[in-house]
Amino acid sequence: MSAGSTALIARKSIRARWGRTLAIGFAITAGVSFVVGSFVLADSLRATFDDLFQELGEDVDLSVRSAQQFETDDARDPISVEIAEPIADVDGVAVVEPTLQRYAQLVDDDGDVITPAGGPTIGVSWLGDDGIQGVTIKEGEPPTGPDELAIDKATADAEGFDIGDSVSYITDVGRFEGTITATIGLGSGDSFGGAQLVALDLDTALEHFGADGMVDAIDIQVAEGADIERVQRDIADILPERTEVVTGEQVAQETADDVNQFVDVFGTGLLIFAFITAFVSAFIINNVFQITIGQRLRELALLRAVGASASQVRRMITFEALALGVLATVVGIAGGVLVARGLIFAFDAAGAGFPDTSTVLAVRTVVMAAIVGVGITMLSVIVPARKAGRIPPVAALRPEVGFVAMRTRRLVAGVVLTIAGGALFMVGLFARPGGTPGLITLAGGGALVLFLGVASLSSTIARPVTRAIGWPVQKLFKVPGALARENVARAPRRTSSSAAALMIGVALVSGAAVFASSLRSSLVDALESSVTADYIVTDRSFQGLSPVVSETLADVAELGAVTPVRGISGQVEGDTKNFGAVDPAAFEQLIDPDLRAGSIADLGMDELLVHTDPAGDLDLEVGSTVDVVYQNGVTGTLTVAGIYGDAFFGNWLISLDTLESVSTAPARDFFVIGKLAEGVAPAEGDAAVLAAMEPFPQANVQTNAEFRESQEAQINQLLIIITMLLAFAIAIAVLGISITLALGVFERTREIGLLRAVGMNRRQTRRSVRWEAVIVSIFGALIGIVLGTFLGVVLSLAVPDDVISQLAFNPSIIVLILVAAVLAGLVAALYPSYKASNMNVLEAIATE
Amino acid sequence: MTTPTPPPPPPAPSAADGPVSVAGSIAAAGTVDARKTYGIGDAQVHALDGVTVSFETGKFTAIMGPSGSGKSTLLHCLAGLDTLTSGAAYIGGTYLASLDDKAITELRRTQVGFIFQAFNLVPTLTANENIRLPMMLGGESGDTAWVDQVITTVGLGDRLRHLPSELSGGQQQRVAVARALASRPQIIFADEPTGNLDSVTGAEILDFMRRAVNEFGQTIVMVTHDPLAASYADRIIFVGDGKITGEMADPTTDQVIDHLKSWT
Repeated sequence: MSAGSTALIARKSIRARWGRTLAIGFAITAGVSFVVGSFVLADSLRATFDDLFQELGEDVDLSVRSAQQFETDDARDPISVEIAEPIADVDGVAVVEPTLQRYAQLVDDDGDVITPAGGPTIGVSWLGDDGIQGVTIKEGEPPTGPDELAIDKATADAEGFDIGDSVSYITDVGRFEGTITATIGLGSGDSFGGAQLVALDLDTALEHFGADGMVDAIDIQVAEGADIERVQRDIADILPERTEVVTGEQVAQETADDVNQFVDVFGTGLLIFAFITAFVSAFIINNVFQITIGQRLRELALLRAVGASASQVRRMITFEALALGVLATVVGIAGGVLVARGLIFAFDAAGAGFPDTSTVLAVRTVVMAAIVGVGITMLSVIVPARKAGRIPPVAALRPEVGFVAMRTRRLVAGVVLTIAGGALFMVGLFARPGGTPGLITLAGGGALVLFLGVASLSSTIARPVTRAIGWPVQKLFKVPGALARENVARAPRRTSSSAAALMIGVALVSGAAVFASSLRSSLVDALESSVTADYIVTDRSFQGLSPVVSETLADVAELGAVTPVRGISGQVEGDTKNFGAVDPAAFEQLIDPDLRAGSIADLGMDELLVHTDPAGDLDLEVGSTVDVVYQNGVTGTLTVAGIYGDAFFGNWLISLDTLESVSTAPARDFFVIGKLAEGVAPAEGDAAVLAAMEPFPQANVQTNAEFRESQEAQINQLLIIITMLLAFAIAIAVLGISITLALGVFERTREIGLLRAVGMNRRQTRRSVRWEAVIVSIFGALIGIVLGTFLGVVLSLAVPDDVISQLAFNPSIIVLILVAAVLAGLVAALYPSYKASNMNVLEAIATE
Repeated sequence: MTTPTPPPPPPAPSAADGPVSVAGSIAAAGTVDARKTYGIGDAQVHALDGVTVSFETGKFTAIMGPSGSGKSTLLHCLAGLDTLTSGAAYIGGTYLASLDDKAITELRRTQVGFIFQAFNLVPTLTANENIRLPMMLGGESGDTAWVDQVITTVGLGDRLRHLPSELSGGQQQRVAVARALASRPQIIFADEPTGNLDSVTGAEILDFMRRAVNEFGQTIVMVTHDPLAASYADRIIFVGDGKITGEMADPTTDQVIDHLKSWT
């Protein structure tokens, strides 16, 4: 048996049917591009941040900072700037640079704050050229003294600031004015990751930022030739307690790791959607091969008749797919790199301000691309190739025999897959063997298997359902409508497989919609029942609110109760917990945390309110004691004063007094909540609060209703992002319907020719093809909605009641999906309907 | 028309365990009590109802019969394209029922040539590639001198590099005949090879087939319902209702027409 001949025939076949080849190729390429793009983007960002922080820390040999008892996301406690002096005296120390980062925001000529597109607003201390941090001067001289400042070049360019301009900026402690002496950047970049930056000399920074003699860290460069390890030991010897000296490399690595955690989450998220796209492509490829094998039935039978073995025919089809898969993968890898570059460019344009990003195409990425591209193609072709092998030689003379031989038993397989998939999905979500990875693998894999099962089962209901969908079409468009309806119904298998890809896309969108609706209504419910505060003041600066904000609010006469919400992390029996701290008397009036035992207002020193879940886990009841080690090393014992059921503000609550007694860091507030005083009208209160917050642009004042809306908006935004990420898969699904339809038109050439011959005009022909596509799309969308709603409900039920307590459905989304399905059908029909209406009638009739 | 003396047949496979030879010459293929039934119960149709027939090596035999007589089924079963319900079919010394799909495929590729009424060629391959297809599938180049001779005889010239869709119906059939000849099969089966052609082109193809028998000693079995086509054969076998109803040696067109008239 010759491999050469099957390869030749396969190659010729690819070349002869380039339109179809292109379409399949595109489906593979799209999936591969998305996968490669996700990897390249994440790898490139990771490499960029690694490089960036290494570069920034290049001159920093050692860094002194406060020690943490255990690893936590909390900011480290600041250290006294006075430590810098003895450190500078240590033998071998060349440069000592205390670093400080606080809130600062520029103000324009009209007195309004300038807010960057996405980033935080930061004030830093800067020694200028003598410094060892990676900040570089783009233009000008370093600021010195209380009347000078430098700002980042990106902001200067965007806002039209020049060197020599006078500008105001706001900090935690007030408003200051200075002259811009320099524009600065981070390494080679003009921006600091999209942040707005105000840089002052150290003394000015300490004063203007209200740092009270405390800095974040002290960076050190050792003299040339000095032994770094020795210097490190010597510095360690003179440091106060709870302070440590680490290498610059370690700091760079820790910072990079922190950032890369986000990159990883982001990359993994993209990758999930990339695989969904690839999965949808597989359906299209499978369907197209299936159909074309039917169309090439006589050709394949002829090959069998003249001596090709069944395995040679199988090999030929497989080789065709392989060649296509390899080619499309190569194109897909190139496309993926472009996608990644395009996204980086888009982020940059949106103000993320990445420094020069290298493009990293790892070997792993290429391997994954090959596995996905070639893999999905080969998997998609297994069944069609086996069917091709089953075509008997006699089908060259009697095609009907061949079609019978190609039939498979899909019903049994469909039922088995559907049940197995559904079971896996539920086991993954509810039983959760193997933790989070097990959950994702089982639930994700189960959903995929479920899709396969439903796709093959849907053919059994395709005929009645599409007839029902087609009924109004027939009523509306008479003969073309009737033809569209009949053409869809007469090939239920083809209808269901071409609708399958769209079904998956729609199922995911509608599943996400159910989940989001349930999440939203549960959240709204929780907010309504537990938050009695009238105002919620959140932080825009990403650095926490200064206590001055809550103090100012507490002084507003129109407000009755005000409390800041602060926090600290601490370990209880070796597990890290986040402790929230509030003013108990005010908190009781502002929040109803569904108290089960004890009381809030009585929460005193060294007392604790705990959520019922951890209370149950640790066997706590009112009066029990808990030993805590805080991140700063301070230890304490808390007595349980109450147990509550609503985890809206976390699981562990202490009083501000307790926090103050254990904390060694200046207070920063997550947010501040407040309530109108008795008898004050809301409009009056709004005006008073806004007036009080005027000097604090970093404080975002929202009324209860506004806060709720912004929370809902965030969930809606999430749904929109998910839908946008699924758009790729849905576009491929629409392409799939288009290809199937075009192949169907081609198959029915003679039939369409006949219809045209007996008087159907071009417009009617187009119409009939167009509505055929719409019926198929609606069919796919309907099954998708049903399946997606099921998935969404199961998913919502699997989420703890704290987060999702009730199911909610959004009928407007379903309507939207159906409208989109009609549009998708119309788009899919563009080419096939043109093709059908532009046939040469005589030639069409002569076609065998 | 008289039968010219055929040249010696190509070396026959061992006939030791093969079917009985007929009338002194070696049988290239045949059936013994072949039955083929379609459907079940009342709907049963006996496409072949006990057909015993053999085809001489180096002879051109025509099978004639009205539509639904079973003549095509007989051809398909003889060629290993279809299987019998009972009875036996053989090619050379081999009973087809004893072979699995792989062996039958091998047999078709090496021992059998086909010419169909239409759709004879793989549309994506050139005429030249179509002719060499069976050899390519076997991973061999075949008898190059012989293949070249066949291609010359076909007389397609520069159209050999063209795709089937660029050839006329007659040219396509000539390529089909050349493909059937190229692997020097034991026997060629032709199913209404001129059914789709006008009379002049049809005559050309039949002439070509006749020459293959005369000059190369090729054995050909052809199903036709055209008396003129049948008259090119050395022998005609008449089939009706799944049975052999008669035969005629060295037929002329008029004889065939007279015979067909006698049916009605």
